[in-house]
This record gives sequence, C-alpha cells and structure tokens, in this order.
Amino acid sequence: MGAPLAALRGAVAELLANPRALGLQAGIMALNDGAWIGFWWVFFQRAGTVRGWDFDAVVLLWSVLTTAAGLVLGVLANARRIGQMVTDGSLDAVLALPVRPLPWLLLRRIDGVFVGDALFGLVLFALAGDPTPARAARFAVGVVAAAAVLTGFLVAVESLVFFSGGGRTGELGFQAIVLLGSYPVDVFPAALRVALHTVVPAAFVAAVPARLVDAPDAGAAAALLTAAGGFAVLGWALFTVGLRRYTSGSAWTRA
Amino acid sequence: MNRRWAAVAVGAAARRTAADRGALLMTAVFHLLVVSALGSLWRAAAGGETLGGYDADALFWYIVASEAATVPVAMRLIERIGDDIADGSIEVELVRPVGVLALRLAAELGATLPRLAVCGVTGAALGLLVTGTAPPAGAVALAAPALVLAVACNIAAQHAFASLAFVVRDARSAWFLYQKLVFVLGGMLVPLELLPPWLAAAARSLPFAAMSYAPARLLSGEGEPWLAAVQVAWLVVLTGLAALGFAVGERRLQRVGA
Repeated sequence: MGAPLAALRGAVAELLANPRALGLQAGIMALNDGAWIGFWWVFFQRAGTVRGWDFDAVVLLWSVLTTAAGLVLGVLANARRIGQMVTDGSLDAVLALPVRPLPWLLLRRIDGVFVGDALFGLVLFALAGDPTPARAARFAVGVVAAAAVLTGFLVAVESLVFFSGGGRTGELGFQAIVLLGSYPVDVFPAALRVALHTVVPAAFVAAVPARLVDAPDAGAAAALLTAAGGFAVLGWALFTVGLRRYTSGSAWTRA
Repeated sequence: MNRRWAAVAVGAAARRTAADRGALLMTAVFHLLVVSALGSLWRAAAGGETLGGYDADALFWYIVASEAATVPVAMRLIERIGDDIADGSIEVELVRPVGVLALRLAAELGATLPRLAVCGVTGAALGLLVTGTAPPAGAVALAAPALVLAVACNIAAQHAFASLAFVVRDARSAWFLYQKLVFVLGGMLVPLELLPPWLAAAARSLPFAAMSYAPARLLSGEGEPWLAAVQVAWLVVLTGLAALGFAVGERRLQRVGA
C-alpha cells in the first residue's frame, strides 16, 4: 500500500496548496446541493408523499448520494478520467512507475469541487438524518458500499475505451448513474427500476443504502454488499484486461 | 464580410455542431435521461389528479419542453466568455469588421440550434411514448418558436452576465449562480404555478422564465400566446444589456504583455 498512499499524500498536498480555491470550489458545490434540497422541499410541499418517499426520505437519499459521490468523484477523481487518459496516451506516465496502475491512478488526483459534495452530505446527515449511533453506523457502511458501486461502475465504463478505442461511454455512464441516482427509485417505471438495479446501478448508489439507514433489511443489505463487491471486481477486471490492449501514446509526463 | 454575415455565422456554427454526431448523440441521451427522471417524478406526483392545473400528461410535456429549452444551451458559456475576456483572447475579435457581441451571439445561436432540434425530436418521441397523446397542434405551433426565443434569451443573458468579466476579470463562478436561477426561477424543474406564491411572483417578473417556463407552459397546452411576446421583450432587454456591457467593457479593455 506504500505507493498508493504516497500518491494520495501527493494529491492532498496539491489540493491544500491553494486553500482559497478549494474553499470556493467546495462552497459552490455545497450551494448547488443546497439548491436541490430546496427543489425537493418545494416538490414535497405540493406532492405530499410519492410512492412511499417523503421529504425526509429524500434528504437521507441525498446525504448518502452526495457523500458517496463526493468521495468517489473527489478523492478518486481519476476514476472519471481513465477513458481520456487511454485515448490521449497519458497512461504511459503511470506504466513507467513500479506500482500497480489502478490504485495509484485512482488516488493520484483529488478534485476539490466534489470535496464540497462529501462535506455537504455529512453535514446534511448530521443535521437532518437523526444520527443516532446505530443510524450513523448504517449510514457509514451504506456510503462505503455506495462508493464501491460507483467506483467500480465508473472504472468499468471508462475501461470500455480500451476495447472501443474511443467514444463517450464513460461520460454517458457517469451522467446516467449520478442523475438517475438522485431521484427516488420508485418513481420510475418497472423496466427502468430493473435497469437501475443492474445495468446502471444507480439504486445502489443512493436509494438502497438510504432506505437501509431508516429500515434495516437483511436482504437489501446483502444485495447492496453483493453489488458493491460485484462492481468493484467488474471495474478491476475490465481495467486489467483492457490494459493489455493499451498501446503507448509516448507521453511520459502527464497522469 | 457583407451584411449577410449573421446568417453566415449562424450557418457555419450550426454545420460545425451538426457534424459532431457523437456530441449530438450525447445531448440527445442526456436530454432523454433528464426528461425520463424529472417527467416520471412529476407524473408520479400528479397521479390521477392535477397539480397547479396540470395533469400528469401536461406535466410530462412541460418537462419535455423546459428541458429542451435548456439542455442545448452551453451552461458554462459565461465561464468561457469570461475566460476569453480575462486572458485577452477576445482582442483578436476586436479587429474584425463586425461587432464582437453580435458575432458571438450569432455563432452561439447557430451552434445551439442543431442541439435544440435533436432535443425537440427525442423529447417529442419520449413524450408520445409515455403519455400516448400528442399536445394540441396549436400548442406545438406556439411552443416551437418559443423554444428558439428561449434559447436566444438564454444566450443573450449569459453574454450580459459574462460582460462583468471586463470589470471583475473573473466571472467563472457566475455561471453556477446563473444556472440555479434558470433551474428554479426559470421554471425548468418546477412549473411556476407550483412554487410558493411569493417566489412565483418574483419569478414571473424576472427574465429567467422566458428561458424555460414560457415554451414549457405553451407546450403543456395552456393557450397563452402573450408569453411569446414577453420572451421577445426580454430578448430585446437582455441583448441591450449585453451590448451595453460589451461596449463599456471593450473601451476599458487594456492589452497586457507582448
């Protein structure tokens, strides 16, 4: 673990090098999330309860989503850049190092904007999530599992570039999972709900872990942990197999 | 460049956008995703009843149009224009035989129109699939030009906002605030009839409603053609503000470095 931790230390040092910019970026993202909570407040003022979801449940969903997404998109920022690095050849820089490429890559860069997301989610849960010790523990486990699902999914869709040679599947996958994950899963038609538990596992990134905080359920917890493990393995496998097809871009200085 | 420069700029930008099939496909898919999510939410909320005078189908068509009016427009245009002003790259545009703002407005409108067309077609297909009924022909006839006016208002407003960069040099964060204003006060996420009364009143008196609410309200079947007149009025005001901002800014602009 020495090399990935060294990469993380470097990334943190880079992030903290400009604290004013970090504060501004994180603050803007927190403001954005706050605007969405305002939207949900207005929505439930008019709609009441919708298919079992009320304002408190959606606030919990958003606290899980923003914390998990903030951790992945902020701390593991390169998860969203693998496709671009493959196409422009900048993976070369990591392949020249005596480290395992995927962990090093994932921990090499922190995006300050999404740090604001993670902080917002934690504060939201502390203020509105009724954080008893048991609920806080379920929240923490749910966030870690949701982050594993999101990381695995993003690495998997980004790694498709190894096989296709280009395209926008990574960006499309990112938009789909984050956008669809930010809504209560039960408002969608049945076929789409199935897709959100399988192909684009948005339900496991927000709705399922949020529900587990309120109502522990062994079956749902097992499904969440299975999804977390499954997508983590899928992401690692696609990256590892895909990397064998990678051809050098002769770029030695960017990563 | 002759007097037809505006049409040339619009046409060239539109062809450039249309040639990037991958980006157009991304726009279409993103639009479908947003409409599916938000439309499903509002349909579920309405159920078999009405909300603010909208039934479930009308709400879905509202979202189709509100998103079609906003998804095609580059939301970070303010940031891009601000960067061009702050780093001085706008200087080369000052030597052209047409105004900087006029050419930028024409080019941005041209670049947006193909994306608008794609969103219109995909949104209509999804709307028909989900609701099973098309909006009244009159509503479509009013909403189509209202969508173009909405996009034009949005582009003009972003240039007006971005002209602040001539003074503050860094308008990059302004796009974020602007985006939220369009989302909420523009009626993109919520029909204005469903906002708290005080907020709805404020929204109706601001230009953001011309950028999303107007075409959405028209497509949802409400025969209120005066909304298009309001859009035209806001387009004139916003273009005027942008022209003023750029005119003042261009006089302040100082070249730094070699």
